[in-house]
Amino acid sequence: MSFADAAPRLSPRARRRRILRRRFLRRPFAVIGLVVAVAFVLGAILAPVVAPYSAAATDFNSVLGHSSGKHLLGTDELGRDVFSRIVWGARASIEAGVFSVLIAMAFAVPVGVVAGYYRGWPDTVIARATDVLLAFPFLILAIGLSAILGPSLTNAMLALGFGVAPQLIRVARGEALALREEDYVRAAIANGAGDIRIMARHVIPNMIPTLIVQATVAIPAAIIGEAVLSFLGLGVQPPTPSWGVMLADAQSYLTQAPRLAIYPGVAIFLCSLSFNLLGDGLRDVLDPRTTR
Amino acid sequence: MGGFLLRKAGAALVVVFCSSVLVFLGVRALPGDPAIALSGENNDPAVLAAVRHQYGLDKPLPVQYAKWIWRALHGNLGLDNRQLPVAHTIVTRIPISLELALLSVLVGAVIGITAGVIAAVRRGRVEDHAATTLALVGLSLPHFWLGLLMIIVFAVDLHWLPAGGYVSFGADPVGNLEHMAMPALVLGTGLSAVLMRQMRSSMLTSLGADYVRTARAKGLSEWAVVGKHAFRNSLITVTTVIGLQLGALISGVVITEVIFVIPGFGRLTLDAATARDYTMIQGVVLVTATGYVVVNLLVDVVYSLLNPRIRHAGSAG
Repeated sequence: MSFADAAPRLSPRARRRRILRRRFLRRPFAVIGLVVAVAFVLGAILAPVVAPYSAAATDFNSVLGHSSGKHLLGTDELGRDVFSRIVWGARASIEAGVFSVLIAMAFAVPVGVVAGYYRGWPDTVIARATDVLLAFPFLILAIGLSAILGPSLTNAMLALGFGVAPQLIRVARGEALALREEDYVRAAIANGAGDIRIMARHVIPNMIPTLIVQATVAIPAAIIGEAVLSFLGLGVQPPTPSWGVMLADAQSYLTQAPRLAIYPGVAIFLCSLSFNLLGDGLRDVLDPRTTR
Repeated sequence: MGGFLLRKAGAALVVVFCSSVLVFLGVRALPGDPAIALSGENNDPAVLAAVRHQYGLDKPLPVQYAKWIWRALHGNLGLDNRQLPVAHTIVTRIPISLELALLSVLVGAVIGITAGVIAAVRRGRVEDHAATTLALVGLSLPHFWLGLLMIIVFAVDLHWLPAGGYVSFGADPVGNLEHMAMPALVLGTGLSAVLMRQMRSSMLTSLGADYVRTARAKGLSEWAVVGKHAFRNSLITVTTVIGLQLGALISGVVITEVIFVIPGFGRLTLDAATARDYTMIQGVVLVTATGYVVVNLLVDVVYSLLNPRIRHAGSAG
């Protein structure tokens, strides 16, 4: 560090933010992840501008067509432009990825921290409830939800959120269980700090790196989960485009046009990879234990 | 240790009970009258009444529940929509999915734990970067898509492996493994990515811990430090992660069986739900919940064997 970094005008918080930003920018993969993830989000929002055709427009002169100047990635069995459908399909994936994890986090972190911090009966009750939730694998849950409420993206997101939540509860609980034994928490208790203050000031902030790692795994997993559900017909319903639906349609043409099964998968892969890279970079920057 | 096990087993029973009540009520909350489905979409009130009586649907819910559980305990889960015994169908399907799941966990654990330990020990070197990158790719790949790609390459193009289907191990061991190779790889590699990351990060934490520094200071060999101290403590985390992955494994089994046309338990679950086969859904969920709880119990036991602190903390609280 040069003397310029320690310029007295910067507040400690601003200085820390600057250090973190520099650390992040020093990681090329994290920056690439950020750029690609932002590109996917922008592409999804600006789909009407980015996509050359609408997702449902058919071109019967070009059915199962190869890529050409007119159709960048070719056309599917109904002569629909594959590239345009991938751009429109990003909407469902990103919506599902982000919102289902937010739903899960908002619910899981407080619950898990309470369980790990208080132990005793709240822990037992929460742990048993979590076990019951976990006993229903998210796919079975999604199947059940779509049977009761009908298949849709919203119900798929609910199921994905439910699917992610128990895992986050367990992680938050485990962390809280470990953190409450730390010396600084004991010191805070000895100093007379209240439970809420200890949880908010000492327990939750110290588990943020772990939570980021978990969200890292969760957002791309939810994106993939949405694809799985749509693939099985439990998520986005045709004619709305979704990468999972495209893959399901492509299954019938594996011998004639295997490319139809390749492009949507590449899109899912790149999208979840970019979020994974971004999250990894953030973890490296935020978690002092692994960056030392 | 005995008391710890008893308490865990008691809790497991409670979980199975809650799951059974949930699915029992859940199935009854589904729209549509099961009597209509059971009578083959017949709307004649007399027929419906007869069907309701035959299946005990005219009795109060607690009575229906008690009857169902009582029969389930005797191995009778009722008849499905095709009038076939549910328990028999489940028993024939489970070994298929169990084989798939076990092979996948084996593939996942061998790859994941090995790669995780190597990456942590060789931190910052080529091996670490290679393993970390592969894990990242593994986590970002939709595995059902990997399944489609493998079918395109190994079945459609090269004709090396069958694109799908199932042959029992007893009838044709080689054919069985040929049919299981792609599905187990698809499911196992997915698991290995998660395991590798957890193994690496908990090994790194262990390697940086005071007791490892003490072990090094005592002059223990690197092998003893890594193998005995760090590895053993990291296994605690990994056991938990395998337990946590169980739900994902079950979901993975469903989709893998759909893609590779394997007539297993997962496929049965999806078919039961799409066909609204109530008795089948109940049976499938009851069996899934029981299996899940049993595996979790095993995880807890292994966990406490590996870490006495948790066992004692448990008996104190």
